[in-house]
Amino acid sequence: MTTDAYPGAGRPGITAGGLIITAVSCLSTLLLIAAFVYAVGIGQRHTTALAAADCEPNLSPSGQQCTTQPMMAAEYKAMLVPSSQQLTTDAAAYAANEGDHLAVAEAALTAEVAAERALGRSLAAFPFPPAIAPIAKGLIQANQARAALTAEQARSSSLTKLRSLNHQVQLADAAVASEMKLVAAAVDAPLPGA
Amino acid sequence: MPRNTVGPRPDQSWAQDYYQPASPAGTWPAPTAAPPAAAPPTAAQPAGKTTAGHQTQRRTAKSRVDEWMDVDFKFGGSRIKRKAVALVLLGLPAPVPLFFMLPALLTLNSNTFAVSVDDTLGTGAEVCLFLCLLVTPMVTLTGQHWFVPLRRWYGIMMAASSIGDAVAASITDDFAGGVFGRVAGHVFELMGFFMVMLVIPIVCTSNPWAQRKLGKYWKRFQRLTYVVWGLLACHLMLLEGFGFESGNNGSGFAGDGDAVFHQRFYQYSACSLFLLTLRLPPVRRWIADRQKEGRMWLVWVTVAPIFAVFVLGFVFILNEQIFKGIDSFTNNPSNE
Repeated sequence: MTTDAYPGAGRPGITAGGLIITAVSCLSTLLLIAAFVYAVGIGQRHTTALAAADCEPNLSPSGQQCTTQPMMAAEYKAMLVPSSQQLTTDAAAYAANEGDHLAVAEAALTAEVAAERALGRSLAAFPFPPAIAPIAKGLIQANQARAALTAEQARSSSLTKLRSLNHQVQLADAAVASEMKLVAAAVDAPLPGA
Repeated sequence: MPRNTVGPRPDQSWAQDYYQPASPAGTWPAPTAAPPAAAPPTAAQPAGKTTAGHQTQRRTAKSRVDEWMDVDFKFGGSRIKRKAVALVLLGLPAPVPLFFMLPALLTLNSNTFAVSVDDTLGTGAEVCLFLCLLVTPMVTLTGQHWFVPLRRWYGIMMAASSIGDAVAASITDDFAGGVFGRVAGHVFELMGFFMVMLVIPIVCTSNPWAQRKLGKYWKRFQRLTYVVWGLLACHLMLLEGFGFESGNNGSGFAGDGDAVFHQRFYQYSACSLFLLTLRLPPVRRWIADRQKEGRMWLVWVTVAPIFAVFVLGFVFILNEQIFKGIDSFTNNPSNE
């Protein structure tokens, strides 16, 4: 491999280039063997590391094989924050108009219903781990009940009838907030605005 | 401008002409190569520096693939060279790192920039640098030149990614010390800062006008790319050290079990081994001699393990780029 016929010399010789590339090639071969040996143990190390890192399965958006509790909490929070902000805005709009503008108050409630249903869909789609899924189911049901009540309130024909449902909606809100606290504690994520 | 720096051995003129190291510096392509798709086959040849005889030698030594690539085909009423299509397809991935950051830029999502711009654009710049540096070894090995214009393209995209990385870091990083502290507050950042400072003049002079103005100094100036290459080693070394943590390096999560493959400096070293070895003048002479003897099989057998190590390192860099890039694109930045 490293022999070379120099012109005029008439005899084979060893070139520096041949030596270098042979040495690097041998080193590369050794590196490849080492990489192969290392790769064989990946599965075992992966399992050990998953257990050590307290991972939850398959929750990462990038499809990685492991999602930690903080990652899941961050994703849950990222899902909750926009809905929570929207609901706060709609509730403020309703509170400002429930006394004298029926149409505007109903529009605010309609928007609130849409936000609550969107939150319900997001919660249903969120891949809660099995340990949290029953608690999350309670939250989804509470949210559905609140959305139904808000929808009924949005269909009110008068301001008096509209305001008469306020107390029931507040109770439904409190139920949702209570369920949210349970879920948040379970995923170790602080509630939005907390 | 000489096209070969292999060495003074007079018996190798044929081999030197045949192999046509696209640029002795192995740096960014000659500015006469316009956009990759439109570059002429002799784009890397500085105008007015070759004789007719030399050009004849080149024509006769042109590889079959080069000739095949020069053939036109009809497409939508116009004629396009096969080479143009191949160059466009091979050049398409280069702007992908910038594309990954586009949603964050359009929505001014400072969180995505703060968390993952260095991984997305920094890794993108590394990928483009290696692809840029890969051109010369591939010319040496294959004797083909049709892909030489890609060197300039990858070089420009490397500059765009690295400058974008530095600008974003200067705005969104949370290191103390103002803008300068954010881009050079740590030693590894300082290395990156030097790299960007070097990349700017290199990319600014990567055009025909600058080549004419700089004359014989142009090529030496473009060789600063090698300094960037070296600084990248320092940057990665200072970032992650020589060892590896228990899996917390690179794109893989702590639990992925292959921390060594995700260590950025190891990836860099694996890629650089091939790129550096194939640039050494004695090695290039050895390859030329084997080809002259008609024993290219020996070259392929010898180079195969080195190239395999390059591929191994490069695949994991791409892995990092794709995962971090997609996370950035969806504005769910990963800070692993």
